[in-house]
Amino acid sequence: MKINIYILIILTIIFSCNKDDSNPTSNKNKYLSITVDPIFGTQPFYLDSIYTTSEGYKVKFTDLKFYFSALRNGTDTLTKAALFDFSSTGNLLTRLIGDYNKFSSLQGNIGVIQSLNHLDPAAFPNDSPLNISNAGTMHWSWNTGYIFISIEGKTDTIPDAILNPNHSFSFHVGTDQFLETISFSVINWQAISDKEHRFELKLDLLSLLQNPTRPIDLKKEFLTHSTSGQYSLTLKVAQNFKEALTTK
Amino acid sequence: MKHLVILSFCFMLLSCRKDKVGFEASPYKLEIPSHFPDMIIPEDNPLTIEGVELGRFLFYEKRLSGDNSMSCATCHMPQNGFSDPKQFSVGIDGIAGTRQSMALVNLGWESFFFWDGRKTSLEAQILEPVPNPIEMHQSWKDATQKLNADIQYRNRFFRAFNEEGIDSIKVAKAIAQFLRTLISAESKYDIMYKFENKISLTTKEQAILQTVDNEEWAGYDLFRSLNGADCFHCHNGPLMQVKKFSNNGLDAAFSDLGRGFVTGNPSDNGKFKVPTLRNIVLTAPYMHDGRFASLDEVIEHYSSGVTHSATIDPLMEFAGQGGVQLDSQEKYLLKRFLLTLTDYNFINNPKFKDPN
Repeated sequence: MKINIYILIILTIIFSCNKDDSNPTSNKNKYLSITVDPIFGTQPFYLDSIYTTSEGYKVKFTDLKFYFSALRNGTDTLTKAALFDFSSTGNLLTRLIGDYNKFSSLQGNIGVIQSLNHLDPAAFPNDSPLNISNAGTMHWSWNTGYIFISIEGKTDTIPDAILNPNHSFSFHVGTDQFLETISFSVINWQAISDKEHRFELKLDLLSLLQNPTRPIDLKKEFLTHSTSGQYSLTLKVAQNFKEALTTK
Repeated sequence: MKHLVILSFCFMLLSCRKDKVGFEASPYKLEIPSHFPDMIIPEDNPLTIEGVELGRFLFYEKRLSGDNSMSCATCHMPQNGFSDPKQFSVGIDGIAGTRQSMALVNLGWESFFFWDGRKTSLEAQILEPVPNPIEMHQSWKDATQKLNADIQYRNRFFRAFNEEGIDSIKVAKAIAQFLRTLISAESKYDIMYKFENKISLTTKEQAILQTVDNEEWAGYDLFRSLNGADCFHCHNGPLMQVKKFSNNGLDAAFSDLGRGFVTGNPSDNGKFKVPTLRNIVLTAPYMHDGRFASLDEVIEHYSSGVTHSATIDPLMEFAGQGGVQLDSQEKYLLKRFLLTLTDYNFINNPKFKDPN
């Protein structure tokens, strides 16, 4: 009798200490990731590869980076900021713990929202993409803040048989006035494992250059750092980028 | 009676047990400047007072070289911003290297080491020069045997790592701890940077800010002007550098592939790590091969000497015309600004000097 009472007490303790996982659909500790696959028209995209535009220009991209900020669905924030750096982290924009059911649609910004853009970049947490250690070349060092979109490369604008991409282009979009909003009304989260759901975007660099209403001619439009004298090209890049970024 | 025997036996066992001597190293409190990001320190090598002290001794320890003539400080001299005034450092056998010694400053924020970035941790970098036949030219086995023969080192290693024995990993860890304390953040530029970024200044800093003259501010404007010297793309922020490898237009063809040799990617040929400009006036000669003896030569390169090549950085936006084409007054102002990057408190810090 005494032994039975002891067993009963031990079993009671064991079961009372058991972690509650009675909800099989719990999203606790499940990941959400967003990827961006760059493409060039119908071709897969690689840095330092040569592509041809419809004008016959040869072009290669050497760097592709951009920020998203204030990514949310209504009042539910997915992330304050995310940095896409194709050369360092491939096509992954962000990966974090969250419940995909809360983000059936997403709104956000291409670039860094004003309230974050002018803070001390050393003061963000170590794991923040806005921390100066992580931002790297994407911060302008003084109070103008972050570079929202950085696209760099070389081009050969002489349409002959000689390949000589020796003409540099550099698009650095930044400053508050060039922040673009973006919205995805229906998010189709793909289950890529039992612990992770993914939302896939694509970015068409050919479409960015050859937007039907705002084409960019690399022969003449090859440099912007978002200064006042470069307003027209900066706006083109910002708006074309937004249109070139679509759901996969 | 029986119990008494057992008790006595236990007492004897306990009293005969060897007395294990333990030592808990004291955490080293690293002062991170207010305008710097946090330093990420490896979990397996936290800074301790004893570890930093040991690292300092080892940094200046000539027995780490084959003929006891060279220490780390031989090629990284404090008075030269922890770099070498020689174009190429010369090892114990009189053989010169092929690259200029990099300045050792703010290394705790670096992600790549050496000009080609072939090492990704400070500890891994430190393991290279000792056995390198053109540098200190001594096996780690011999180096650690020498240290083991010195009772003071045996004690220092024990205090730093709380275990007996000396090996290359512990040597590298201790030197890395010392190097992480080499923080430079008290130049005139730091105050200009903080002022520009609306970061609060101390009373002392406000007084120094008042001493920044118009020429230095004008030089700073040129430094970061797209139509001026255009330096800021690669040299900015509190660390005065960005984390990248770049071809800055030195050569049309490359005798040293730099980053390309490490990655095997032809697109990286001729690219080298962007160095910090901190204490730049003290760290001559310049570039990965020390080809420029003075700041004037460097400024002239970016002004009119840029050479085009397949991998030149797209941000060398005036490469097509040979550089940014500064006039003599602009060169003078730019140099005035570069001189604000000297941190005399860092250079003269007694904690960084030879403890012997």
